[in-house]
Formats: sequence, C-alpha cells, structure tokens
Amino acid sequence: MGIRDCARNSKAFQRLLRYYSNREEAAREFRQKGGKVVGQLGADVPDELIIAAGMFPLRIYADRDSKLIEADKYLEFSFDPVIRAQFEKIVDGTYSDIIDYLAISNSTDVIIRTYLYLREIRRREPEKPVPPLDFIDWLFTRRMLYQVRNEFTVDLFRKTLEEWSGREISDSDIEAAAKILNNDRAALREISALRKAHKPRISGSEALVIIGSSMFMDRAEHAELTWQVASEAKDWPEIDAKRIFLTGSAHEYPDFYEMIERNGGVVVGEDHDWGDRHFERDYNSSYSPTRAIVDRYMLRSFSSKKAFVSQRVQALDEAVNASQADAVIFYVNMYEESASWDYPSQKKSLEDRGIATKAFVKMAYPVARNEWLEDSLKKFIDSLKE
Amino acid sequence: MPNDIKRANEPNRARKSLQATAVASAYQKEWFAGLRARVEAGEDFGYLNADVPMEILRAMDIPFVVNQWWAAICAAKRMTPKYYSLLNAAGYRDDLCSYCATAFAESLDPDDKISGPWGGLPSPTIAITRLTCDCQSKIFELFAKNHGADLYVMENTQPRKVPPNWWELSEDRWEELYDKDRLDLAVEDLKALISYLENKTGKMFDINKLIEVMNLINEQESWYKKTRDLIARTSPAPVTVVDTINAVMQAQWQRGTRWAVEHAKSLYEEIRSFVDAGRSAVPNEKIRLMWLGRGLWHDFAFYQNFEDKYGAAFVWSMYLAMGADAYIRYNVEADPLRALAARYIGMEDFLHMPPWNANWFLKEARHNNIDGVVYMVPENCMQAVEGSYFIKKTFEDAGIPVLLFKADPVDSRKWNRETMTGLVEDFIETRIIMGGKK
Repeated sequence: MGIRDCARNSKAFQRLLRYYSNREEAAREFRQKGGKVVGQLGADVPDELIIAAGMFPLRIYADRDSKLIEADKYLEFSFDPVIRAQFEKIVDGTYSDIIDYLAISNSTDVIIRTYLYLREIRRREPEKPVPPLDFIDWLFTRRMLYQVRNEFTVDLFRKTLEEWSGREISDSDIEAAAKILNNDRAALREISALRKAHKPRISGSEALVIIGSSMFMDRAEHAELTWQVASEAKDWPEIDAKRIFLTGSAHEYPDFYEMIERNGGVVVGEDHDWGDRHFERDYNSSYSPTRAIVDRYMLRSFSSKKAFVSQRVQALDEAVNASQADAVIFYVNMYEESASWDYPSQKKSLEDRGIATKAFVKMAYPVARNEWLEDSLKKFIDSLKE
Repeated sequence: MPNDIKRANEPNRARKSLQATAVASAYQKEWFAGLRARVEAGEDFGYLNADVPMEILRAMDIPFVVNQWWAAICAAKRMTPKYYSLLNAAGYRDDLCSYCATAFAESLDPDDKISGPWGGLPSPTIAITRLTCDCQSKIFELFAKNHGADLYVMENTQPRKVPPNWWELSEDRWEELYDKDRLDLAVEDLKALISYLENKTGKMFDINKLIEVMNLINEQESWYKKTRDLIARTSPAPVTVVDTINAVMQAQWQRGTRWAVEHAKSLYEEIRSFVDAGRSAVPNEKIRLMWLGRGLWHDFAFYQNFEDKYGAAFVWSMYLAMGADAYIRYNVEADPLRALAARYIGMEDFLHMPPWNANWFLKEARHNNIDGVVYMVPENCMQAVEGSYFIKKTFEDAGIPVLLFKADPVDSRKWNRETMTGLVEDFIETRIIMGGKK
C-alpha cells in the first residue's frame, strides 16, 4: 500500500510530496528573494514567532546515508544516530547556504547537549560553518512556576528573532502567523480524521508526507494543499489492513511506514514529532501571544522524552483508543533510551486491554540496516490476522 | 559453594591506607542503621538524586539517602549483576542508566531485606530528583511507585552566561557567575520544595538552621581545599584516589553535619601527618595520573595496578577536587536560599558542560602536576555526556596526553580488568613514557 496511485495522481499531494522530497527547495527560493531562514533543531521551536518575524522556519533533519565524520569526532557514543546525522549536516557545512540562523529547543536531553557542543564549537573553532544559535530552554514539567518561566523564555527568543530579522515583532504579527498555523493544523487534523476513520482513506505513508512537508514549505500554501488533499481523499479507496499505532523514535522518512504497509498493516496514528504530535494543539488567540505560545508548546501531548512513565502510559492509551488501533509497535533507535523506560508499563496497560504490542529496540539507523526487521514485522502483522 | 566460586572470580579488593577511609566506611554503616531505625519508627525518609539540594532536608532533619551513593554501595557489595537481572526479568532493558537505575532495580528484589546491602534500602516516603536527563523522571517515578513514595521533581535550566573560570566566582561572586533569572527561578524552586516538604512531613523549615548547615559545609569543604592543595604539591603523593574517593564521597553525602566537618578535618590531618613523616602511597612515584569520570566502584583495585610496574599513581579524581572548588558559598547569611541556589544549579554544569568542565580539569591537572589523564566515558549515560572531545583537546593542546575509554562505573558485567589494564599500560608506555612526558 504505502503511497497509493490515488495520492500520486492528486496534484495537491504531488506538490506536498515534492517539498517533502526536496526539503530545501522552498527555503532556497525564500533566501534567493532576500529572506532569512531559521533552521530548527528540536520539535518545540515556535513557528509562530519565526513566521511573525518574516523569516522561514526549516526543520533540520538527518541524511540517511551520509558519513558521520564530524559527528564521530565531536559526539560521544550515547548520541543517537538521528541526532548524529543532524549534527553532521550542521557542522560539515551542508546547511551553510541554506540557513542563516539555528534555533534549538530542548525537546530532548540529547539536543541540549548538542546545543552546548555547537556553542562551544562556535567559540573555540570559529572557522567551522556553524550558524549563529539560540536555545529555547523550555521547562516541560507542568507547574505554574515553570509555565511563568517559559513565558520569560519565549520573550527571550522573540528578542533574538527581532535581532536576527532586524525588525520588531508586533503582537499582531504573531496573531497573523498563528492564524496561518492554526489553519494548517486544522487541515492536518482533517487528514488525521480520515486516517483514523473506521475505514481509513489515507495511509500512514501518505500522512507522513502530508505532515512532514509542512516543515519545509510555506505554511499558508501547505494549509491550502492539505485542505485540498483532505477533500479529495474522501473519495480515495478505503484501506483494509490491520490498524497499527506507532510509538518511540521519530520517523523523518517513510521507510518503516512503507514496510508496515506492504506487509498487511496501516499506520493509523503515531505520537512522535513528525506525526500527529506536530499539529495537535492550537495557538489560543484569546490569550496574549506569549501565553498562547507557551500554552501550545508546553501543554500539548507528552513527548516520549519529557514526561513521566505514567503520563506516557495514559497518553499512549488515549491515542491508541482515538485511532482504534489493533496493535502498537514500539520502534526505538539505538541510544535513544528514555522511551525504553516507558515500554514495560505501556505494554502492560495495552495488553491488559487486549491490544497486541511488538517492540523493536536498539535499532540501527536507517531502517534498511536492520535486515531481519521485515520478516519479524510480517510475522507480527500476520499474527494479528489470526 | 556458589558463594565461594563467586568470591574466587571476583577481582582483588583495593588496598586502602587511610584511617579516615576506614572511619568513614564504619560511620556510614552505623549511620545507615540509625537511619533505618528512624524510618522504621515512622519518620519520613527521602531518597534523592545527587544533584538535589539536600541541604534543605538536612536543615529540616529529614533523613535521606543519595541515589549515587547507594548505587556505589550496591556496586561495591557486588550486587549489581543480580539487580540488573531483575530489571531484565521485569521487562526492562538491563543495559541502561546503570548508575541511576540501581536502586530501582533493587526495589524489584523480593529478598532485599535479606540479601541487600546492610539489610537493603528502607522504603522511602519521598523520592526527589532533578530533571538533568530525560530518563531521570522516569526512573525515579518507577522507583517511587515501587516503594509507595511521593515523587517530587525539580527542573534544570541551561546557562546563557558562561564566564570561563567558574571556580574564581563560585565562592562569593555567584551573581556574576550565573544569569540572574536562573538564580531567581532556582530560589523559587527551593521555596516550592520547602513548601512541599513542610506539608509532607509536618516539620518547619527554619532559615537559621539552613545558615548553620551552609556554614558547616563551608568548613568541611575548606578542609578538602587544604587536602587537595597538599596532595597537589607533594610528590610522591601521600595518598591516591583509592583512599580519597571513598573518604570524600562518603562524607560529602553527610555534608552539613558536624561529623562531616570533623571527618574532613581528620582526613587533612592524617594526610598531613603522612607528608610530615615522608610517607607516600607510591614511593617510586614517577607518573601522576588523573582519573576523569565517576569512580570505578566495582573495581577500586584497578587504580593500583600501575604503581609497582610504572610508578604510576592516580593522584586526582573529581571527588576531592569538587569539594575543594565547587561547594563553598561564603556570606550565606544575606540570602541563604540564593547561596544554596548558587551551589546546586551549577554542579552539573561544572562537571558536564563545556567549557566549564574542560577549563577546570586543565587548571586542576596543572595544579597537581599531572602527566596523563585516564578518562572513563559511560556508553549510554546522557547525564555523563560532557564534551569529551573538548576536554581531550584542551588537555592535548596543553601537552597532557589523554586515554579515553568506554566503561561503566557500577556495572561490572561490562568490565574486563585485563583488557583495561592493557589499555592503560599501553597508554603509559606509548603516550607518557615514550611520548616524552617522562
């Protein structure tokens, strides 16, 4: 199944796929017209502020096949393979003519360390092509003290963007950007509903393209195309396959989704940052801009990195219920350890409710390097049919 | 019989020369028995990660144990292979977060009261950690749940301001050392912790008691400063890390007590007496080594493997030196909570954040006439990730060779003493002796 002909024949989907496949294209065009591009490392850099500053947010991602010369030089063993590959591109100059600045959010501990290392490289080895940096020091523990602190942090980032863009960011600039983003999120939720319907109309591989492309293109255009795909997809063929919910590591590419979907499954939901979590909470325009941004980024569903086990158990149970999944697959890359502490409790909670689970941990990167994986996956999905 | 076989396969125990080490070992066992009695009598009992500001609990007279200290005890008692197998049996991976997860693993042991160190860990009623790595909150929550304890967490922020020589500012110029907003937040965090503890335990937090605790700590750490300086300027060194790590770490977790001050003083005086008597740990000392990383709790004798053959003595570890440079906060009376905030928010950064750690390690290497650095980096612990590239480069740019290797401080299953000994011997021969350092 994967990406079906009905999707490939859609003009709107084709355009989304183009930006998903050519991830720097829109940013380059923006830059050629004199605009400035802000690379985003981590899933919690507020798009609202970057767009309000008249700049282009571009998500940093890993190349699957690049040699990790710089990463192996600077990073210890325990940095996971995705962040290693992202770090490589920042330090080896791949992004030199694509991004002007780099905004980093503390979405995981490994990204915090990456920020500290990049800051030190800029200080000690200024010849390296690491762009100017800013760090958004979110605190995700849900207490008022930290919520207030996050408002301070957001205001600091706003000031940095004003320096980078050379212009003041007004509240109405932020409101305008938020309106675009909320519209895009609403469109993505429409896609999500089609995907989670009793008979899904959109596959996981297709959804991953639709969601992921928003990280590399103009968001107003993305929203328009996504609404269009949502409208067309209502007439796409229903998918009859075992419904799989995916948790664990983020998937920047559809490799694993395609593997699941060519073996009798369909990915109806996920809780990683390149999937459902990307669009699930709106900017609340009834709050002041700073508070609305804190509300959106601090209080959306728990990431696997910044949450207690009990929070993750509950969040996964709820997400699995909402997607009516038959089974949950845990997929965790090598050295991406924190989700492993959630797994036994999550597994128990799911299996107590009759939902099958399968764990793939310590996975090599990229997916294709795990040559044994497809056989094991197929056996699991076949077992669901029995 | 199985026990006999186990003993035969175990590595040799380290030779320790200091009375202060033996005293600390005896005291901690006695203290732990007293703590157990208080817990059994119904008092609240806190279990804290090492970076939690324990001074608050000390001032409130709430008994507590520090996670890393207890992990070290479990490792020294060679319990960790059993505990990690329990993790595995419960569906957890047994190769993660060994330092932080030992106590959680122990909590899975139904026989803990019989086979655990010193009768096992009594069940805490409060578990407190700081969120200095993604796994911390998860491990502590699991641990708290198994013991039926409350979980309390404190956040961690990253410095924007990074003045290079933190040790020159930390004692009394912390407003210059840290971003003001970080200190402000940390003070509020302390107040929230105090409020929680007052409600939980029914005990009042007395600010005057905190001043007393902070001043006792200043006194204790000042003795460590004198001890560090004495060892630094004495060659051959009077003692090695085999003595100082245990003597200091055991007392460090008792900081804020009169016993800890007296112990730190006695440690200095004993080492001073060695120096005065011309007694040295490695009489043929030719090479002074620095140990970077956590203590190798399951094989302390390893540190002594190179003394006879090469005259190589491990004279430096962070445990004594951090006591000397990182803990003292003078003039606490003006604002004791802010002084405490200025201690606890920096501790992780001093050790794990470039450039603060690298600059300090180099300063210490020079101060201690170090010839080579042996640097242990755990394979899968993000909390211990600290910019090893920058540290190594800082040393090597200064002409001090570094051996960096992967190992685990508490998981003996990942350790092969023979291989590691070969690695260090090769380093001594090729990088220090043939490299012209000696």
